[in-house]
Amino acid sequence: MDADASGPPAPAGGAATVSLAFPPEPRLLGTVRLVVSIVARKAGMDEEAVEDLKVAVSEACAVAVGDLNRAGRPDLIELDVIETADRVGVEVRDRAPPAGNPDPPSAADAELNDRELGLALVGALVDDLRIAALEGGGNRISFWLRRGPEVPPPLT
Amino acid sequence: MDLDLNVHKEGDHSVLEVAGEIDVYTAPKLREKLIELVSEGSYHIVVDLEKVDFLDSTGLGVLVGGLKRVRNHDGTLQLVCTQEKILKIFRITGLTKVFPIHGTVAEAVAAPAE
Repeated sequence: MDADASGPPAPAGGAATVSLAFPPEPRLLGTVRLVVSIVARKAGMDEEAVEDLKVAVSEACAVAVGDLNRAGRPDLIELDVIETADRVGVEVRDRAPPAGNPDPPSAADAELNDRELGLALVGALVDDLRIAALEGGGNRISFWLRRGPEVPPPLT
Repeated sequence: MDLDLNVHKEGDHSVLEVAGEIDVYTAPKLREKLIELVSEGSYHIVVDLEKVDFLDSTGLGVLVGGLKRVRNHDGTLQLVCTQEKILKIFRITGLTKVFPIHGTVAEAVAAPAE
């Protein structure tokens, strides 16, 4: 896993704080969560926001891992965590072909559709979730999280 | 990162204590354990999540799969969890309406079958 402070261009309005690139291996998601939680705590996020961020990042990366593995692609997944004054932004990029219609769960393993449930979970935890196709193939999942509870403006 | 699973019996119930992080990497281990319990004839299962540090959608899917398996045998699958960060995942996915969630193993074991 590579980590540096430069990385690809950040979404508008922020500067990339940390960039990671890692192969689509499920065992690495715990390491990704660890790095993201360290960055979030250093950015001053409260513990509830840190937990939300860990879940959202892990789910977004798990979608990328799943898409790449289904496609048999070993390409690196890129993750940017961007810190601004009041929010933390995340962008996950992969080079997987379009997901299309994933296979329904088999009868023997009648569970939920992890991809759809994962993205629904991300959507419930974050602000401004965007899922887009990348030029030349691949997907980008991006979102923002507030650093903590909204504080009402002081009375004047 | 690993997932520790321990099973003990409390009356008619099999109590599965889970410790660690449940995600796309570790969830298959939990799935296999639930399948094993049902195949051994344990149809009333309590999953104790008090020592779980992280739960993702794959873990939720595995628990839903376990619930379906025990229900095929008129069984029950109940959860024990008081951690707000884990309860939040069940709440926002609507699964608090699907799983009976208790504060202690004793409560879960004593709960009447629905």
